[in-house]
Amino acid sequence: MRGLLLLLRWSLRDLRANWVKVAAIAVIIGLGTGSYAGLTSSANWRRLSNEASYGLLNVHDLRLRLVEGSTVSRGELEAAARSIEHSAWITGAEERVVVDLLVDAGTAERDILVTGLMVGIDLSGTGPSINRMFNDGGRHLGPDDAGEMVVVLQHSFANHYDLPDRGTLTVGGGRILTYVGHAMQPEFFLVAPEGQILFSEADYAVLFSSIETAQLLSGTDGVNDLVVTLAAGARPHQVAAELEAAIADRTGVGAATELLADNTAYRALTEDVENDQQVFNLFAFLLVGGAVTGAFNLVNRMVERQRREIGAAMALGVPRWRIAFRPLAVGAQIAILGVVLGVVVGIAIGAAMRSVLTEFLPLPVWLTPFQPRVFAGVAAIGFLVPFLAAAWPVWRAVRVRPVDAIRPVHLAGGRARRHRLRRLSLPGDTFAKMPFRNLVRSKRRSITTVLAVAAALVVLVGFMGMIDSFMGTIDRARDEAVKSSPDRLVVGLDGFYEATSPRVAAVTAAASVGRADPGARLGAHASGPGGSLPLLVELLDFGQAAWSPTIASGGTGGIIVTARAATDLGVGVGDTLALRHPVRTGPGSFSFAVAEIPVSGIHPYPLRPFAYMGLEESARFGIEGEVNLLNVIPAAGFTTGDVKRDLLGAEAVTSVQEVAGAVDNIREQMGAVTGILRVVGLAAVLLALLIAFNTASINLDERFRDHATMFAYGVPVRTALRVAMTESAVVGALATTVGIGGGVAMVWWVTRHLLAETLPDLAVEVILNPGTLLVAVAMGLAAVTLAPLFTVPRMRRMDLPGTLRLME
Amino acid sequence: MLIELEDVTKRYGTDAVPIYALRQVNLRVDEGEFVVVLGPSGSGKTTLLNVIGALDTPTAGRVVVNGVDISRAGRAELFGFRRSSVAFIFQAFNIFPGLTAGENVQFGIDVAGNLDADPARVLEAVGLGGHLDRFPHELSGGEQQRVAIARALATGNPILLADEPTGELDFTTGVQILSLLKEQTGDGRAVLVVTHNREISRAADRVIELSSGRVASDGPPPGGPAELSDLHW
Repeated sequence: MRGLLLLLRWSLRDLRANWVKVAAIAVIIGLGTGSYAGLTSSANWRRLSNEASYGLLNVHDLRLRLVEGSTVSRGELEAAARSIEHSAWITGAEERVVVDLLVDAGTAERDILVTGLMVGIDLSGTGPSINRMFNDGGRHLGPDDAGEMVVVLQHSFANHYDLPDRGTLTVGGGRILTYVGHAMQPEFFLVAPEGQILFSEADYAVLFSSIETAQLLSGTDGVNDLVVTLAAGARPHQVAAELEAAIADRTGVGAATELLADNTAYRALTEDVENDQQVFNLFAFLLVGGAVTGAFNLVNRMVERQRREIGAAMALGVPRWRIAFRPLAVGAQIAILGVVLGVVVGIAIGAAMRSVLTEFLPLPVWLTPFQPRVFAGVAAIGFLVPFLAAAWPVWRAVRVRPVDAIRPVHLAGGRARRHRLRRLSLPGDTFAKMPFRNLVRSKRRSITTVLAVAAALVVLVGFMGMIDSFMGTIDRARDEAVKSSPDRLVVGLDGFYEATSPRVAAVTAAASVGRADPGARLGAHASGPGGSLPLLVELLDFGQAAWSPTIASGGTGGIIVTARAATDLGVGVGDTLALRHPVRTGPGSFSFAVAEIPVSGIHPYPLRPFAYMGLEESARFGIEGEVNLLNVIPAAGFTTGDVKRDLLGAEAVTSVQEVAGAVDNIREQMGAVTGILRVVGLAAVLLALLIAFNTASINLDERFRDHATMFAYGVPVRTALRVAMTESAVVGALATTVGIGGGVAMVWWVTRHLLAETLPDLAVEVILNPGTLLVAVAMGLAAVTLAPLFTVPRMRRMDLPGTLRLME
Repeated sequence: MLIELEDVTKRYGTDAVPIYALRQVNLRVDEGEFVVVLGPSGSGKTTLLNVIGALDTPTAGRVVVNGVDISRAGRAELFGFRRSSVAFIFQAFNIFPGLTAGENVQFGIDVAGNLDADPARVLEAVGLGGHLDRFPHELSGGEQQRVAIARALATGNPILLADEPTGELDFTTGVQILSLLKEQTGDGRAVLVVTHNREISRAADRVIELSSGRVASDGPPPGGPAELSDLHW
């Protein structure tokens, strides 16, 4: 026991003698394991909270919407649900009226004029049992509010504009509503209106009202929406098909269903957690890998320095386990330090993530318990992996023959293999050759350092690249949507009207409207050899319109789809796709038809659902000469805000969307997310610096005698430093190359694989800004090259006589 | 006169507990002399070598080497002095393991700027003509020490300072190294060899024996310099 205590004390002395390097490795382990624990804890919180929140509010499993512009009598949709073959699978069905409208929620301090959605729900009895609302300000809606001009605001919109619990707003047609509270509703935990990217709460106001109120405002007495919950074991696709058929049979009206799993917001909230976890796993793998190399290099160096002691001990018959105990104890102590630091870092990151998540992803229930299993698992990995990495050089050392271990280093002999690289003829004087010779001589350490720094750079470039790619894609979307018309607005109408009708004239004749190009937009579903997906088909006059999509290949004459849609459908220019589209069958009613449409062109817009056809195709949809959309350019001297205010009073206008402003708002919303990613990037930078410093320090340690000899021969310190920095520069250059390559690969994987699952409608391109590359090069090359500067004080203070006589 | 020490003292420790490595040492060494500095462990012989080679500075006294007073010289001056005036040969050889034999010799040339020297010729001169591309781990101890000597010779500096150059070598190899060092005096170099091995001192032109930091004796070995073939240890 006393012997073990002595060895332990001895190992602590070893630790103290290398405290700077030990601290660096412990920080690396701590950052890596702590970040992973904090991030994984937050992922677990999201899973728990999603489940609790959706469960609490009984989110629908299936949603059915009638073709736009259509309604059926109240009770028809629920009756249709009861009539299907597998009605036993349906545990709940509630009708709704869902209408688009323009919302002016402006206050004295600011203008708030946005597109909106009114969801009219059945308030009789205790209110809706499907998609219940969670009140977080003001009061709930009650039975007494049926038919009243009273609404509740969706939480995100109200929160974004810091609206009070109670107030008034104006909707299209100039009608004034009173809002009496704020609420979260599971369909809108994240706001993702059709045809837009996520994070649109600044531009999209969701209002909850009674069915009767929504009917009054929309001028209909029917319903157009149905939400359904299903029993466990039910097959949602089958229920969806039966419902669509039943409604078509009973009412002659077409309907489209959407499973909850296909809902953009739901998928973003749930699948995103799993995809984020994959990114966290990769991140932890890279960072812990960096820590492992640091621990390995340090313990390897310590074992080399103790080589003769180990040899002497073996010659004296000391058991190998006792010999190994001291360096292993150092490895264990480093790992423990790192793990302890990791717990602290993990808790800190968890606290920061908790704050960001509750702000950025508002849910009615946030469960953020401490995750002991995560921390325990991470602590185990954080201990075992560096410890095992340290154990390997120890294991090798105790397997050497004692006579070889005892021999002085310079007489230890030629165990090194003949390497072609060693004998490579190099130009320049010895100081030019030394760095490369040193790298080859310590090739294991050189390679592990390259990989460790590269790992940190992969994280840096990967995370920054994700920001660049997402923001770059948003910017390209903006550029395409704006083109030469930065003030363009898209005005949506509540139905199809003759182009010369008074309702349309109310828009075109508005004082603030300079130009209004007619168009139509309908939801459809396309199928091709590669698959099927929903499309938002817009009809416009390609020849006359102020704005038309860029056609990257092909031309007009058929349907023009996005490049992503073409890939997913498995079609190209000249192929055909099957388009299931609405066809008007009578006033206010549409059914569906399927037609083979040629793909005439590809456009570069990143939002997959957007497709375009010529206005001359409107006959195919039964809406010849009619419009439900206008592309508006403000008149000279008027702003987009003027147009919005002007059209607020127009009867048929349900939405007025600035194409540029919507994208700009998304950019702003992304700020919180990108902030987190930048912090991760900074952590990666710190790691790269620590790894570089650690290696420079170990190199100096190993080459102390070489440096002493150089100084004895009168070589200035600056020359020795130049050699060390050149060596670091080579490592840095290699690491930067590998790191940038790996980072780009990571971005590609995230955008093409993970994001494609979470946000399939957004075709994120792999974009790397010059700034990101510059930071990667600065860190990977400049910082690593400069790391030896930290060793200059030690060089200058070197005891030359003592070092030159020192026998290892 | 190449080396002159005047009342040189080197003291370590504190005023309360001083430790003298050298005490009022006076000596002179001329060009072409092969001098052995002899003494037991702790006698100050290595300190003397370090002071002459400007690896250490005296606490008192004056040291003039190759015409330069290095007693009170600044750091940069001392580095310059070492580049141009002395060359070291160490007990542990201290050749650079990452460089070939030829490149180690080239190091000496680059440091001193002795551009006339050719590594191959210098290695030839020390009997390692075919070892230009060998790395240290591919050489025996004796061969490594020859490379170290070649490196020192390649500087072209007038003073060679060898600290226990045969300490790690067997007798036969040690004699070969001594022979090599002795040959350098023919080019007008001064060679100082520090050793505790009295047998080696028999081959010197002059033996300076140190005891407790003082010069106990300074003169030719008894009976004059012996032939290397007569040495035994």
